[in-house]
Amino acid sequence: MTALAGLVIVETAERVTGEFAARLLADFGAEVIKVEAPGGAPTRAIGPFHEGASTLFRYLNSNKKSVQLDLAAPGDRALLDRLLARADALIDDHGPDWATQHGLALGSQPDIVHCAITPFGQDAPAHWQVARPINVMNAGGWAWHTPSESAPDRPPLMGAGRFMSDYEAGLEAALCTAASLLRKRRTGAGQAIDISEVAVQLSRADCVLGRMLAGDAEPGPERTRYDMGGPGAAFACADGHVYLLMTTRAHWRGLCALMSDPDWAAAFPEDWLEYHCTPDRVADFRRHFRAWIATQAKDAVAQAAQQAGVPLVQVNSAADLIDHVQYRHRGFFQSLGGALHPTVPYRMSASPVQLHSPAPTPGADQAMLA
Amino acid sequence: MSRGGPLAGIRVLEIAKVWAGPYAGKLLAFLGAEVIKVESRANLDEMRAYGGVDIDSAPYFRSINQEVLSVQLDMKSDEGMAHLRAMIAASDVLIDNLRPGAMERSGLGYEDVRAIRPDIIQLSIKMYGSDGPLGYQTGYAPCFAALGGLNALVGHADETPAGMSIRYGDSTVGAAAALAIVAALHHRETSGEGQFIDLSAVETLSMMVGDSLFAYGLTGEMPQATGNAHADMAPHGCYPCAEGQWLSLAIADDREWRAFCTTIDAQALAADPRFAHASDRLANRDALDATIAQRSPEWNAEAMAQALLLAGVPAFRSQSSLDLIGSEALWALGAYRMVSDAKGEVRPIIGPGWRMTPDEASITRGAPLLGEHNHLVYGAILGLSDSEIDDLIARRVIW
Repeated sequence: MTALAGLVIVETAERVTGEFAARLLADFGAEVIKVEAPGGAPTRAIGPFHEGASTLFRYLNSNKKSVQLDLAAPGDRALLDRLLARADALIDDHGPDWATQHGLALGSQPDIVHCAITPFGQDAPAHWQVARPINVMNAGGWAWHTPSESAPDRPPLMGAGRFMSDYEAGLEAALCTAASLLRKRRTGAGQAIDISEVAVQLSRADCVLGRMLAGDAEPGPERTRYDMGGPGAAFACADGHVYLLMTTRAHWRGLCALMSDPDWAAAFPEDWLEYHCTPDRVADFRRHFRAWIATQAKDAVAQAAQQAGVPLVQVNSAADLIDHVQYRHRGFFQSLGGALHPTVPYRMSASPVQLHSPAPTPGADQAMLA
Repeated sequence: MSRGGPLAGIRVLEIAKVWAGPYAGKLLAFLGAEVIKVESRANLDEMRAYGGVDIDSAPYFRSINQEVLSVQLDMKSDEGMAHLRAMIAASDVLIDNLRPGAMERSGLGYEDVRAIRPDIIQLSIKMYGSDGPLGYQTGYAPCFAALGGLNALVGHADETPAGMSIRYGDSTVGAAAALAIVAALHHRETSGEGQFIDLSAVETLSMMVGDSLFAYGLTGEMPQATGNAHADMAPHGCYPCAEGQWLSLAIADDREWRAFCTTIDAQALAADPRFAHASDRLANRDALDATIAQRSPEWNAEAMAQALLLAGVPAFRSQSSLDLIGSEALWALGAYRMVSDAKGEVRPIIGPGWRMTPDEASITRGAPLLGEHNHLVYGAILGLSDSEIDDLIARRVIW
């Protein structure tokens, strides 16, 4: 049996963040009823496409049901109320203005768990609610500090893919909704949850930004303020890229052995990473290491590094992961409807996550409104 | 001593270090759970040692472990382990992020733990998960991001993909762990059954780029790092402004484009046929970016961002650490909170990503001193008297 079996969640979300939150809960077995506008959810129009259908939509909406409702039309809006009357939770990701116009303001559904995800939270200025993921990544600081060692004249980067802040906030929304649903099981009471995408991002940086906030570390305008120093970086190797993180003398000894103790390494003090990690030395190290690692094949060198106790790993691509020995062992990718779905990172012994149905066609479950 | 919140009444034991495991514990505590961190002077969380000499005032530790209780226990002694087993018997959840095999060597593998408490939920965070051909491997968060396929998608076009900021990753893993635990609490609520949750840090970061992995499997088109380029939007990126500031822009349609041109007072740009429609702007993306970047250095990033937002154009100034902690808006929106610690010191912390009404868990306590809650926890949970606890401290069982 899956963990959230028996719970009904209505999803009025139309962005990646809310759709992802609801999919995480659908994976745990909740019955997620997706409400799509006439013409279908906006994410159906976002590429890349395969055989005419959005891969993004397909990824975000497996395990869900779909009904189509025009929430601006009173008759359809009344049907939504009927769905909500038997629901345990509602997940939305529109701004407060839209929600109010559609009778879905946060707080309007006191008997159920009502989770609303917005870029800055419900109390932000109304005109801020139009922010998209690249704006959120810049508002919350990850962009300013990405990548590490950014030069001041190079643009801050939005992160991985197009939706990083959406996924982070969606994960938080799923966590809060699941927690609040546990409370509802126990007390029968509903709860309103106000997720701020930027606040989630700040929370994820607690260990670096939190020290600055408390006065334990200096904040500053530099792009490198989240950096740790040291030689860690991505490097090109013979057949791709590897990432090296090196912080201790044990790592250094291991790496020297891995490189068969080259002459140039002898110029570095044994404890240079801990006590003598100057920019000159880092540059010098990287110059030598870059030449050596360029001759190495990534899988072989990463395997040897692991045995030598050196954190030197592959920079994996999508192709590497689909055929990855550990991912195959754990079943991270599951096949459904002719597609390999990346699933979730938690394997649960008693209530395993199940991928049971591909993303629905628009209104596939319209009959349930009758 | 319930603080309210949706997880009130849930007790979590945390045998975790550094960031991912403690972050999971913090999120559960912020949701109202009673989270007890089991520590030992002989085997400290490294975060108590970073950035200072006083293990009770360590900046890294204090930045993560708010609203968590701390008890000490020597897990290398039989007597200490007996007390730990008694604590497990009284707990709902056990979290660890120790090295592969460490829990088993301490007699805390899942089979051992469920023998103590059959309906326990045990979650273990490992780089690659707990078993399998690579289950033995260990690493740090930047390694998870590289291995999980996330770093390959971050970087300027046609360069070595530099990856996310080196600090990214651990906390996301902790959040995924917290979610799985809450799901397992539901399963226990309905079935009475506990379980083992085997969490892979690398897979967690793959999940953060899941749509790219999924699309590759279907289309065979390899996703790449493309700087700030977006397949469906142009302009989309960060543009240099006055005084070293940057402005982020994401313009999707012609209405937004016209509003943008009006706001920046560039009617010639609005009339430029190369940029007339969304498809034109995508086709001439590089010329568009160059044209904007010619004008943007004159802009005050903050003022222009606010003007654009008022015009309905998605924009925001790129914020540095200095901007973030000084942001009146973020303070007003409740992103930061004030807590106090056992010494009576009041300090600001980064709050949770949520607010709840009604019954939000109270967040008032800073990170604990080492062993701050020895008497409270061992008295209330194990029923030990103060003199018994003092004796255990004297004999370094509580250590």
